[in-house]
Amino acid sequence: MQGSSRWQRRWLAPGLLLVALVLLAGCRASRRPLDGPLVVAAYGSIQTVDPAQATTVIALQLLSALGDPLYAIAADGQIEPRLASGPPQLSADGLRAVIPLRRGVRFHDGTPFDAEAMAFSLRRFLAIGKLSYVVGNRIKAVRVLDSHRLELQLRQPFSPLEALLSFASLTPVSPTAYRQHAKGFRPAGFVGTGPYRLSFHSPQLQRLEPFPDYWGQAPRNSGIALVGMSTSTSLYGAIRGGSVDVLLSTSLEPEQQSALHRRANAGKLREGAGPALEIGYLTLLSDRPPLDRLALRRALAYSLDRERLTQRVSDGLRPPLRGLVPPGIPGALAAWPKADLQRSRQLLSAEGYCNGSVLELQLTYRSNVPTDRLLALSWQELLRSRLGDCLRLELQGMESTTAYRQLGDGAFQLILLDWMGDYPDADNYLTPLLECRRGEGNRCSEGDSVASGSFWTAPGLQQTLLQSNAVSGAQRLDLLDAVQRQAANGTPYLPLWLVRPRAWALNSITAPEFDGSGRLIFGALQRREQP
Amino acid sequence: MSRRQALTRYIGSRLVLAPVMLWLIATLVFLLLRVAPGDPVDALLGNRASALAREQLRAQLGLDQPLLAQYGQFLADLLQGDLGSSLRNSQSVREIVGAALPASVELGVTALLIALVLGLAVGFSGVARPEGRLDLTGRLYGIGTYALPVFWAAMVMQLVFAVGLGWFPVGGRYPPTLVPPQGSGFYLLDGLLAGDWAVIQATLQHLALPALTLGLLLSGIFERALRLNLRRALRSDYVEAARSRGISETRVVLRHALPNALLPVLTIAGITVASLIGGALLIELIFSWPGIAYRLQEAIGQRDYPLVQGIVVVIAALVVLVNLVVDVVVALLDPRLKF
Repeated sequence: MQGSSRWQRRWLAPGLLLVALVLLAGCRASRRPLDGPLVVAAYGSIQTVDPAQATTVIALQLLSALGDPLYAIAADGQIEPRLASGPPQLSADGLRAVIPLRRGVRFHDGTPFDAEAMAFSLRRFLAIGKLSYVVGNRIKAVRVLDSHRLELQLRQPFSPLEALLSFASLTPVSPTAYRQHAKGFRPAGFVGTGPYRLSFHSPQLQRLEPFPDYWGQAPRNSGIALVGMSTSTSLYGAIRGGSVDVLLSTSLEPEQQSALHRRANAGKLREGAGPALEIGYLTLLSDRPPLDRLALRRALAYSLDRERLTQRVSDGLRPPLRGLVPPGIPGALAAWPKADLQRSRQLLSAEGYCNGSVLELQLTYRSNVPTDRLLALSWQELLRSRLGDCLRLELQGMESTTAYRQLGDGAFQLILLDWMGDYPDADNYLTPLLECRRGEGNRCSEGDSVASGSFWTAPGLQQTLLQSNAVSGAQRLDLLDAVQRQAANGTPYLPLWLVRPRAWALNSITAPEFDGSGRLIFGALQRREQP
Repeated sequence: MSRRQALTRYIGSRLVLAPVMLWLIATLVFLLLRVAPGDPVDALLGNRASALAREQLRAQLGLDQPLLAQYGQFLADLLQGDLGSSLRNSQSVREIVGAALPASVELGVTALLIALVLGLAVGFSGVARPEGRLDLTGRLYGIGTYALPVFWAAMVMQLVFAVGLGWFPVGGRYPPTLVPPQGSGFYLLDGLLAGDWAVIQATLQHLALPALTLGLLLSGIFERALRLNLRRALRSDYVEAARSRGISETRVVLRHALPNALLPVLTIAGITVASLIGGALLIELIFSWPGIAYRLQEAIGQRDYPLVQGIVVVIAALVVLVNLVVDVVVALLDPRLKF
């Protein structure tokens, strides 16, 4: 009896704790109703839904569901008019573009969409938009011609205008709803023309409901709950545990992306991938020793075994890249050489290394980006084992914001960065890296090439870059070709890999689909018929 | 001077010192943020945008003003109770703090209650047989929970109970498919006041795991404090005197030793509120709990100067206030204390 009593005492506390846990677990809400909104999870919070203020990938993803751009890039890469009713009509000098607008479109507040509304939105973005430089460098003024025709005055002829106008931040907003916010922001509400309207907004949760008066194809679901989570582990756990329906890959740790990819291959999840619009690359400080020597930059280019590195770091989910423009975009060219360690050794030897002398370079990576750290470690190890007598990398981790601050100061010999164009056009990848307004020989002293930390240019490069934007078709492709070949010869950057946006859905949901701008199409998500 | 007068003077001096302390903290945060490399424009635009576009945005956000002018403006606003606006979304810092603080308080209070109940129960359980099996288990529990790294324990709890067993949600404060209650911001309180069982159920479901984790980790402090103080009290002269008068052991423990042993625990509870801020940061991050610590972490990453300053000032004010209240309560309860 006494033993039994002791036994009871011993197990009383843990037993009570377990009972409490079970009781709390009993508080679990019943399963989500099948006709309820789909839960889409992504990393981070959305602090503003004002298109003039939003800058993060997830905020732009949300805006693409709440609004419509003038033109959109379809999944096959073709540009199609959305709120425009046809392609822009360009003047003979290429400095004015008339855009015909779609009729019968309404904002979420019931007011009609017309040229005045579009002009209001564009002017507002140009005046206060945080990313206004993307458009402000191209568009000088906006003029209303009539109720459904708009004229854009351009600073220089700009052939990829339609791609520029697909930029998610240019989605129109209702002038009635934003009258009080023409010169200020409206972070907590959005009134646009898109397939969904925003019914609830907090930084961690956005509720989207189908807009019944939408002019286009109605969403196939009854709404979306977009949830922001703060760690990659939570996101991974959420889809594994089935507490979210769809998961977006942005900021998900590479190992977890690989694990989800494998689960999808095993039929346990459904996977969708968008076009690869994000590039990973290395910037080389080309105006200071030792990397001011072209041969050393080329030796580095030959030493970069992209296939092996991307396999090791991303399990093959990030395809190797040998150009600055993603291959899916017209004008892309794989101009950088493939890895050739023998050639790399020859170049280094010719420059006085490898014979008892080792070229030591400092590689800076963003310590808050897990793939960067893995890549840096892997490349360092690869070089140590293959070219250890010639080339050595010293690693330096730095928080991204701190690193960005010092890029234009020439603080980094070699830094690992990434870039995703605001709109899918070759110009949006080449200009931010190569533009140089003032330079001499191969040294740029003013322009985006300085801001991006390479300080490199080449005679005639800027002119060719500008010309490529003034012409179109084959002529433009030839010029883009020339720009990329020049850049590959100068080697101020080393393209590394491509990043495709991915999403995983439970098997009870249709496979995620992406548009040509890399945004998940919320409206295409649907619960599947259960057998 | 009577004890009451001395206490009033002590409280007065603490109240006078509080604004000075807040000013020092606010100034320190202001300076540290500016010294740190990178500013909101770098965080916002990343490695894109030309130097010109960056300078334009810097001017738009008022960051081109001299440091002294920015500091003067900050202090002038602070004196009027204006914490400024977030550089990220122009929303008033007071609104942001007002929205996030109830979530943190709800989590913190629940965790503290769990910690007190668990810690005191385990700490008290070994009293009957010091150095016995139960006492040793309690000591191990105290050391173990105190030593566990917060992030590790939280992730294990999340993996086991949310991902593995599916008993609790992985994160968040409320089911995403439901609209959160619009009221005081304290969902549990709102649900109880409205008598809405669905709200209470949904809130508890989300609150349980982060609060249990934090409560479990904090309970070790209370367990150790109670056990040590109770043991010391049980060896004291007044307890011996009570025993010699033939008072039963249960009465000796509950009426004589325990009240004295609990006084330091109250002080520790006050200090724990301050450490809750640090512990809650990792808990809020791992469980995607939309509280003030989570917002602070985001704001630091984004170099959102006004938001970081505002949150730190509010947290500092809360810590000062809670410690003052605890000091006063302890002073009122313990006549031995002198000022």
